[in-house]
Amino acid sequence: MEAVSEVRTKGVPPAVPAERTPSPIDQVWDFFISVKLAIFTLIILAIASIFGTIVEQNQPPEKYHQIYEDWAFALMNRINLFDMYHSWWFLLLLVLFTTNLTCCTIDRFPKMLRVVRNPRTKFDGNLEKTLSLSDRWKRKGTLSDWAAKYAEALSSSFAKPKVTEDGGEVHLYAETGVVSRFGVYVTHLSIVIIFIGAILGNVLGFKSYVNIPEGEEASHLDARGGQVHINLPFSVRNNRFWVETYPNGQPRKFASDLSVIESGREVLRKTITVNDPLQYKGIWFYQASYGQAGDVTAQIAVRRPDGSSAGTLSLRPEKPIRIDGYGTIRGLNADQNYQGKGPALHVVVEKPGKPAENFWLLQQLPEQDRQRKDALVFSFGGLNSKMYTGLQVAKDPGVNVVWLGCALMVIGIVMAFFLSHQRVWVRLAQGQDDRVEVVLAGSASRNRLAFEKKFEKLQTDVKAVGQ
Amino acid sequence: MSNVILFNLTTVLFGVASALYLGALYAKNEKISVAGTWVCVLAAVVSTAALGVRWYESYQMGIGRIPVTNLYESLVFFAWSVNLFYLIVERKYRNRTFGAFVMPIAFFTMVFAVYNDSSIQPLVPALQSYWLHAHVITCFVGYAGFAVSAGAALMYLLKSKQEAAKINEGIVGLLPPCKTLDDLIYRAIIWGFPFLTAGIITGAAWANYAWGTYWSWDPKETWSLIVWLVYAAFLHARVTRGWYGMRAAILSITGFAATVFCYLGVNLVLSGLHSYGG
Repeated sequence: MEAVSEVRTKGVPPAVPAERTPSPIDQVWDFFISVKLAIFTLIILAIASIFGTIVEQNQPPEKYHQIYEDWAFALMNRINLFDMYHSWWFLLLLVLFTTNLTCCTIDRFPKMLRVVRNPRTKFDGNLEKTLSLSDRWKRKGTLSDWAAKYAEALSSSFAKPKVTEDGGEVHLYAETGVVSRFGVYVTHLSIVIIFIGAILGNVLGFKSYVNIPEGEEASHLDARGGQVHINLPFSVRNNRFWVETYPNGQPRKFASDLSVIESGREVLRKTITVNDPLQYKGIWFYQASYGQAGDVTAQIAVRRPDGSSAGTLSLRPEKPIRIDGYGTIRGLNADQNYQGKGPALHVVVEKPGKPAENFWLLQQLPEQDRQRKDALVFSFGGLNSKMYTGLQVAKDPGVNVVWLGCALMVIGIVMAFFLSHQRVWVRLAQGQDDRVEVVLAGSASRNRLAFEKKFEKLQTDVKAVGQ
Repeated sequence: MSNVILFNLTTVLFGVASALYLGALYAKNEKISVAGTWVCVLAAVVSTAALGVRWYESYQMGIGRIPVTNLYESLVFFAWSVNLFYLIVERKYRNRTFGAFVMPIAFFTMVFAVYNDSSIQPLVPALQSYWLHAHVITCFVGYAGFAVSAGAALMYLLKSKQEAAKINEGIVGLLPPCKTLDDLIYRAIIWGFPFLTAGIITGAAWANYAWGTYWSWDPKETWSLIVWLVYAAFLHARVTRGWYGMRAAILSITGFAATVFCYLGVNLVLSGLHSYGG
């Protein structure tokens, strides 16, 4: 924009007074290209976004009814406050935002390009008035001599100048960092690219979730709350799920050993963890949750006092198992580390006409039950729990477009704020007293304080030439 | 834990530095603020060592991870960034009065940290990622930039009234001219903004790698976007006339208030995916 305002040189009134009222189309266009609209949209988007963080999003209606009065619920529901970020009005704001920055680009980019392509190489009086950094001096000698010397000085201390001769004057023009002018457009374009990526992902991709018990496989998925059914061209088998813990018992790792099965063959096998997903044919599987698939069973080995086996039992929680000619045995609960002695199972043995006995069976001490001196000896062989793994499944063909946009955004911002379009002009004219009059001036699009210092140095360097 | 002792020492040093800078303003004595600078440099050394020791101690405990993963660690890392950012600004602008407005931010952050659990806990599986480093560091450098900008904005509000009345006396008289303050407000933001942008992007990349969604309108994500929008509005306001000076200062303070809420408020008030609730 600075480039544009410079074209309309200060102090020169416009040729035609702008009295004529602009046409409605121009008015609409002016509305969409204004920076005021951009600031307004940014602030409104910020304020609107706050509501969505205060009102918890996408909760079941019952939950909202607990928090809000009926009238408030009805009102909030009407304006989509419970799924605000996908509401028509929020999307409209995003459309307004995108339209604004697209129109700004259409309006300003060609002007900027013109200024960059045709820089003002001629250093006339009008231009001089707009430049705050300038200096003038006189030198004895010929015009062409000094022009050549100063051109060389600019080349070595700043940038190679473009030399133009015009009506007995010589103009030197040099510039650096012209690329910074493009920063703002790269940034704006990056936002549009990110939105395109997001739309692509929404239209062509899906998000889903599947629970797979150990030893089983899945190839059907539900998306969008069960409205869409997806059949994968392959299936995923959960070979095993496990949890690793730190010494203090806190979980260290959730892991699933997965196989991809295609036409009956295993084509890929990978152990996924949180932060390390599996990808096959553009579909990603993320470790998201886990749980027990069905009941836990406790394995019990039954022996006679002489050591011979009398079979094994699988106890389900609270379900007694009858042993003919003996009584019943029932599992109460299990402990991963009972009194510091490792895994153990709490069982109850009931025999007809006798009081119930309850005791702990330690997995690490299989002979301990002999001390009851009973007709049968039980030992605990561990819990047999079948786990399921909960996988987040996603396909997002737009995601790389989003990353492209993100990379451009960072590059664009750095270009816009950390590079500066710096320009330096020198004009040489033959003075009346046989001396050459020299004018040096400069301007920078950004970081003017830093440029002032640079200009001071350039001033000294240039003036020192030939002295 | 020796790292905690070093962090406590850092807290004291930040307190001393704040007091020296404020005292220098009050007494109009440049020598006192020079002492403040040296205390800041010492605090930078001590806090950097503390971070290193904490990192090392986590390895000794068999956990081994970067010390930026819970509220305590993020607070001390934020204070560390503010101090460093401040020292750079002081050197560049050759004015020590900023210290009276910026160092108290670092000091109170550390005081708040001291009241939080300082033990080294193992990383939950969700945080075990290399993205963690890039995400946290970029975010906090951004936050530090915004803190420095807000400090300068506060100075601007004090100074502008006096400058308008063309008086130049008292404590406020020592503050840098409004032009310099306005420049610093802007400059600190143009450093903070790309870092915040990179912080949001690395967060999105990480979320995508861990959960398969780069954006889910989680309160933390949304608040980081709000902060980004406020500073984007600031930067756009800057290119239109009339948004220098007072309005810019107010927008910078608003932006920092949003930053503080994004950083702490979201975890303390709202629910979400970010871990450092306490």
